[in-house]
Amino acid sequence: MRLKLSIFIAKLAGSLSKSILRKSGETIPGLVLLTLYPQAIRELAKGRKIICVSGTNGKTSTTKALVSIISKLGTVTTSPSGSNLDRGVAAALMSKSEYAVLEVDELHLSRIIEEAKPAAVLLLNLTRDQLHRMHEVKRVSDRWAVSAASAPESIFIGDIDDPFVAHALASAAQSLSISFGGRKHLDGAVCPNCGIYLKWIKNNYKCPCGLTNTNPDELFESGGAAYRNATLANAVGKIFGGKSIQVEEKSLERSEERDYAGVKANLRLTKNPASWTEALHSVTGNDVILIVNSREVDGIDTSWLWDIKFAELAGKRVIVCGERGLDIAYRLHVEGIEAEIATNFEEAISKFSKGEFVHVLAAYTAFHELINA
Amino acid sequence: MSQIRIIRIHNELLGTYGDQGNAEVLAFRAKFHGITTTITDVSYNDPLPTNGDIYLLGGAEDAAQLLSLEALQRGDNLEILNFAIERGAVILAVCAGFQIIGNKFWANGKEVDGLGLLDVDSVPGDKRFVGDIKTISTVLGFELTGFENHLGRTILGPTAQAFAKVITGYGNGDSKYDGAVSGNIFGTYMHGPILARNPELADLLLTRATGRKYAQITDPLALKYATWRRKVIK
Repeated sequence: MRLKLSIFIAKLAGSLSKSILRKSGETIPGLVLLTLYPQAIRELAKGRKIICVSGTNGKTSTTKALVSIISKLGTVTTSPSGSNLDRGVAAALMSKSEYAVLEVDELHLSRIIEEAKPAAVLLLNLTRDQLHRMHEVKRVSDRWAVSAASAPESIFIGDIDDPFVAHALASAAQSLSISFGGRKHLDGAVCPNCGIYLKWIKNNYKCPCGLTNTNPDELFESGGAAYRNATLANAVGKIFGGKSIQVEEKSLERSEERDYAGVKANLRLTKNPASWTEALHSVTGNDVILIVNSREVDGIDTSWLWDIKFAELAGKRVIVCGERGLDIAYRLHVEGIEAEIATNFEEAISKFSKGEFVHVLAAYTAFHELINA
Repeated sequence: MSQIRIIRIHNELLGTYGDQGNAEVLAFRAKFHGITTTITDVSYNDPLPTNGDIYLLGGAEDAAQLLSLEALQRGDNLEILNFAIERGAVILAVCAGFQIIGNKFWANGKEVDGLGLLDVDSVPGDKRFVGDIKTISTVLGFELTGFENHLGRTILGPTAQAFAKVITGYGNGDSKYDGAVSGNIFGTYMHGPILARNPELADLLLTRATGRKYAQITDPLALKYATWRRKVIK
């Protein structure tokens, strides 16, 4: 089938799914297009400047920041929010534009690099996440490195304080390495390049094989994840001649404000030990709701809850809910924090009165249900 | 004995799949029994403490598993472990840790000799075994739940006994048995962490480590959690 006709049918399917099934209709067109025309990504990417953004945490917000930088330079299309598998990429590329900024799942990145031949690939970080699907952090990192080595036309930009990102950048013909002065990495005990015990001196690592974060192309001050991602987005923008955006941490955090009958809630996405730890630092108030699910995208195993230290919640009112609310309740119990258990979010939020402010740390699926409600 | 020394071996290498929680649950359950505990983290470069009562090993990626093995074969470490076993210390080894304490296993595409503390051999399976697992323990006589995520299949030698019979899941790769046990040495593929999901097993390990029997603990949340997982995993 011809590409144009396939796109027409794919778009039609998308709008039908929106109007009849009342679905968001964001992934349907891409799925239909790839079914009708498997080479669509390859064809549609031709002649365009493609930028891919990948990593465990911060993909969606960094992609958004990068879109706002690149949109000053020319027309841009981007992936539907959070839709980062091949179908999301195909859906994004269906609209004509000079640039495309694509959020890409860590395991799908190799295929997208091969087919879309991006001008630039931004690698944010790589930590343990959805291990039922990723299996090993090292496995993902190795795939990145192989892809980087086979894409000499693409420039790889990344935060090499993360040794897995450094491993990928070291394999690329063109790279721009960035450091924020080093920071500890939960999965950084083994050198991803040569497999020996990685030597860390405080926040910096230096392996005899050459892998290190101490000689970056650009060095920035240390800071939180939102700041780091904004800085990385600016670095990529600069390559294309874009003007830097103001680094506003708030706007780059994956969080949303909502009002539930007068109860003000700050919703925040928490999906793995790294994003939980970051989110726990942001809890300033005394009232917290935690939602834990275990659907495919949340990770079907909950063992990783034991990798997180919840000491910051001590002394606060904590209510847990979600399909795996009991898992987190018991994990907190063993750490000496007694949480109230609610059957669902509605019950949890109803425990607060008008005018109160509550932090909601939500699993991937729970977060999306709440912001799309 | 009113104090128990828990040794968490190479958590920076063997901590990728959440098993470090086993130490915390042991300490938590011990408190109910009036036992004080210390948790000592032993890292790759440290010698193993000689006076541990419970030694814990967790799951790991291949490269990390090989480094942990190398460290445990270094200096007096293996002797220290063998002596600990002789004096009745408990070892709980999960997934990659279970393979390490066996005779042989595969990592990064090659076969290596393990520590030989349990009479088992592990080989790569033809697929990765991922999902919820439910078993019935041969030692405890009751159901256990957890989560498995491994490529290895494990074959028991004549001196090892299966740790549990599989009800749901793959266990040692044959969907019949999970893990192995010999005296106070326990090996299993069950994450969760296993002691968080099955606190009664933590109590058994404390009993084995001290040689004392303890009264049953009343911890409604622990019971509710364990019972719920046993019910939902069919």
